[in-house]
Amino acid sequence: MTHKYLSHQGLAALVAELLSAGTRVIAPVRAKDDAGQIDYQLIASYEEAALGVRLPRRSLKEFFLPPTEVLLSYKQTKAGVEITDVPTVAPPQVILGAIPCDVAGLAVVDKVMNWDYRDELWFGRRDATTIVNLLCNIMDATCFCTAVGLGPESFTGSDVMLAPVEGGYLAYLITERGEALLKGHGEEAAADAIAHAEAARKEVRGKVEPNLAAVPAEFSTWLASNFDNPLWKTIALRCHGCGACAAVCPTCHCFDIVDEHISADEGVRRRNWDSCQTSLFTLHASGHNPRGSQSERFRQRIQHKFAIYPSRFGDLLCTGCGRCSRACPGGMDLPTIVSELVALSEAKPEVSGQ
Amino acid sequence: MNELREVARKLLAEGTVQVVIGYEEGPRGVRPAFITSAEQADKLVFDTRCVQNLAAYLNPRRKQVAQLGKAAVVVKGCDARSVAGMIREKQIERENIVLLAMRCGGVLQNPEKDTELTEETVSVRCAGCTAREPKLFDHLLGELPPAPPVNKSRMEQIAALEKMSMAERRSYWNEQLSRCIRCHACREACPMCFCVKCTAEKTQPQWIDPSSTLQANRAWQTMRVLHQAGRCVDCMECERACPEHLPLGLLARYVADAVERRFEYTASDDPSVAAPIGVYKSDDDEEFIR
Repeated sequence: MTHKYLSHQGLAALVAELLSAGTRVIAPVRAKDDAGQIDYQLIASYEEAALGVRLPRRSLKEFFLPPTEVLLSYKQTKAGVEITDVPTVAPPQVILGAIPCDVAGLAVVDKVMNWDYRDELWFGRRDATTIVNLLCNIMDATCFCTAVGLGPESFTGSDVMLAPVEGGYLAYLITERGEALLKGHGEEAAADAIAHAEAARKEVRGKVEPNLAAVPAEFSTWLASNFDNPLWKTIALRCHGCGACAAVCPTCHCFDIVDEHISADEGVRRRNWDSCQTSLFTLHASGHNPRGSQSERFRQRIQHKFAIYPSRFGDLLCTGCGRCSRACPGGMDLPTIVSELVALSEAKPEVSGQ
Repeated sequence: MNELREVARKLLAEGTVQVVIGYEEGPRGVRPAFITSAEQADKLVFDTRCVQNLAAYLNPRRKQVAQLGKAAVVVKGCDARSVAGMIREKQIERENIVLLAMRCGGVLQNPEKDTELTEETVSVRCAGCTAREPKLFDHLLGELPPAPPVNKSRMEQIAALEKMSMAERRSYWNEQLSRCIRCHACREACPMCFCVKCTAEKTQPQWIDPSSTLQANRAWQTMRVLHQAGRCVDCMECERACPEHLPLGLLARYVADAVERRFEYTASDDPSVAAPIGVYKSDDDEEFIR
């Protein structure tokens, strides 16, 4: 991997050049409704970006899978039904200063989006996007990325990683796309800048690792064979089933598809975020609900993230960002729950008899 | 707190209840606790971090809680009003629950930070509270702490909204509600939302489009808050649950104030007092119909 040194002014010049070329730039900014909070937003100038300040409230998901989007529009005419698909080619965009777990989340979801069909809208946006993440040093006690195979220094899914060094950043050029983005920008990196950044990459891991031990590979198998364990009956007592966890999750990707009329003979087909934590998600037309209580719905959340998805795609469907815990009004805390379940899975079976 | 643990222990040991729903220390501050044996009663805590309205767990939709058996629940005066609401609306029966009511000196805005109550940190909903000494209870516990400081931020927001023209107000709410993603977390977290089938989920006809367009968002939040008029106890669980941080507590308070002005009614902690939504009075002005 090659490196470049990018001064603060150099980064500002890069952003200015992108914006003047009409490229959309998305970066963490101070939230409009609460200056103490950070949201990813489109920026109009480099000065708006608030890099490395605090974990953004929401992940990058909405820029690739919006909470609602039109898939097609339809119109009834005398000749039949006219259907117009939406364009699947997205305008070029650059994501600047995202936290590594959010970027990794996109790479995890790519797998299901290219599974039984290729999601053209998702990949249209993915293909149009270059991602520059920032070495994370804004973790808190709820972060557990290192436990799910990632880390605050993770390159997964990113084209360029920036690591703060004196006067600016050391840029790791991870992909060809990343190299192209920085073409004509930055300077040759000094050996001590590289050494400094490498030391920082090791150091940040140590800030997350104590929060939760690495989830063992055997955990997925244990979960799959403990679907009927009585523990599920009581694990989600405090869960309201509100689904706020799924809304803020960088990897929850389920959606619902609905047709909505605009007039008597025109309408649109939309897809909207959905969540397995609500009872409507699995309600059959007959009135039967195979996941009739929150115990079953929460079991589904854990099973999908830590057993079903990895069995199909290899990756856990969790980036350890901790947003579900921060968003939960009922005090459900995923790292605690995972740690308790892992302990249970590792417990030696009780010796029966004498 | 010892008094609370004592009562909880006794209720569980005697078999009067099978679960005590209260608060315990969790990984991120205080969290709801479900105590099912007398030995665990010492886990219970009660302090200014006990923000959550535990009455929500008595809502019949929480099947996972109902399966535990008869419950005792720790309530603040405000939460007791939710319980009264559920009794009034025939969702639970008074004799099937035991209320452990705590005298309250106000709570913080969220259950995570253990800080002193100040004008900035105290919940906006504690301002002007008349329920610090709960009236609906089986066991009234604790000493009455002094009244909390007053957080005026929401009152000031409401005053500012009232000064706005209709167009300005519309534009304020449009901006807020455009952020709604229609996840319905507000409804699910609400103790008073217990309809078996919510209007938002009815499709024949489709009263409200499920997509998060501004028009549908406005229809959804307007319907929700109007359905809560005179029923909402201002616990703000909707706002705490909202992943998009909409000012839902402000919306709810705004409607509650209107109910108070028009019907001289605030959500009562007496289940036998009917709420305006369920009452017909022949001497009602009905001036809005003319």
